Amino acid sequence: MSLRDIAVRVEASPASRIGGIRPILHEIRTLLAALIDTGRGGSIDLRSLPLSPADFEALDAALGEGEVRATIRALGETRVTETAIHGVWRVTHCNDGGEAVADLIEVCDAPEILKTHAADARVGLAKLRTRLEPG
Amino acid sequence: MHEPETLGDVLAKRGVSRRGFLKYCATLASLMALPPSVAAQMADKLTRATRQSVIYLSFQECTGCLESLSRTHSPTLEGLLFDLISLDYQETLLAAAGHAAEEARANAMRANSGKFVLMVDGAIPLKDGGVYSTIAGRTNIEILKEAVPHAAAVIAVGTCSSFGGLPHANPNPTGAVSVGTLMEKGLIERKPLINVSGCPPIPVVISGVVAHFLTLGTLPELDGYGRPKVFFGDTIHDRCYRRPFYDQGKFAKTFDDEGARNGWCLYELGCKGPTTYNACATAKWNGGVSFPIESGHGCLGCSEPDFWDAGSFYAPLPAPRAPLSAAAGAAIAVGVAAGAAVGLAGLYKRKKAQQAHTKLTVDDLETEKKP
Repeated sequence: MSLRDIAVRVEASPASRIGGIRPILHEIRTLLAALIDTGRGGSIDLRSLPLSPADFEALDAALGEGEVRATIRALGETRVTETAIHGVWRVTHCNDGGEAVADLIEVCDAPEILKTHAADARVGLAKLRTRLEPG
Repeated sequence: MHEPETLGDVLAKRGVSRRGFLKYCATLASLMALPPSVAAQMADKLTRATRQSVIYLSFQECTGCLESLSRTHSPTLEGLLFDLISLDYQETLLAAAGHAAEEARANAMRANSGKFVLMVDGAIPLKDGGVYSTIAGRTNIEILKEAVPHAAAVIAVGTCSSFGGLPHANPNPTGAVSVGTLMEKGLIERKPLINVSGCPPIPVVISGVVAHFLTLGTLPELDGYGRPKVFFGDTIHDRCYRRPFYDQGKFAKTFDDEGARNGWCLYELGCKGPTTYNACATAKWNGGVSFPIESGHGCLGCSEPDFWDAGSFYAPLPAPRAPLSAAAGAAIAVGVAAGAAVGLAGLYKRKKAQQAHTKLTVDDLETEKKP
């Protein structure tokens, strides 16, 4: 049983809005412009910012949900979602219990974690070779 | 000759994919206030590193630190710490007992002499010859005297070994002291010492210190109390999501009033966040669920020296309500920019961001270490 299984949910009170999402949106705008101009975007670590639950909700509402949604199962779940702003991704890493341990905005063509690393591809190749062996 | 096993080899054997490890490094980078872009390079470096030998000694302690560290109820992501290190001796986790356990410690020390990291958990009693805490008939100070000279560095895990903690609290009946005090008094050999305080300390802070050591080959920069600045550089108050309410003068007066329900600042209920340096507000607890203030209770200040003797946990601090850092102060002045400015207060990021809006890399961090 994980903490997520507890039925009680804390509601984000509108009174706890801190109003810090506007600077984040400006930072995203700057990163997106850089991605278009130079091919290099960037990331924002949302957990390093003092945001209240209501601020997180406001940020999600401001960015919206886009065309891509992916789930990675590696040491717990990672949710990767493209927001309604193309090139702006929300990456949430969760542990085995389903609790978020890192929450990032990534401004890029595709988040690094979606790509297959060469080392993993080599493991895959070895696996496939074994499966193709006769007998 | 047999090639030493790299961390990458260990991870591959355990079936941890590169994505999984990248995720681990992303969480570490987040905690260490490093730019998220560093995670990929950190993962590269760490997979090529060999595992760090660690000997873990427990003295006057409650085992809460080890419990925090081992996170037995959620072993996977946080449990990767045990892949970063080779835990060669820890009496609670060791299968062996009695003479066999003591022999295992002696063997591990001999095999890794000069290279192992010594983790010490708990205070060390000195009164009456140190008889108040003994292992296999030997006092804690005797064991330390033997182990420290062979260690590459010492990590004091928890407030007891860092500052004396609860055993050291008034009237300190056993004459308990910290590892640092022993070094200052010349009772044990001086070695590079890192205090990872907290009652208990945040487990991922330990992983962060070890990852820093393996990635950069150096120990992290320390504050005046010997704590790694990447985790203890800001107060709880500086990084608290309730901080803007403090600045607006909105305080909970009781634990069940309107202010408490609206998540206002807990300063008047005795929160020690303004004088406590730790990473709880960003690293959080229970797998990132929350931290005490988020759960509605003020900070106790458990990572600070003598916090048990600092008066009631529920009495407000006498300190004036002044902005505690220039970065946060500037953020308050511009009002809406508070979130972004405090977020940028990460130590490395802060320095670099002031110079140019460019990405940081692990190489940049290494360059910073050089004079």
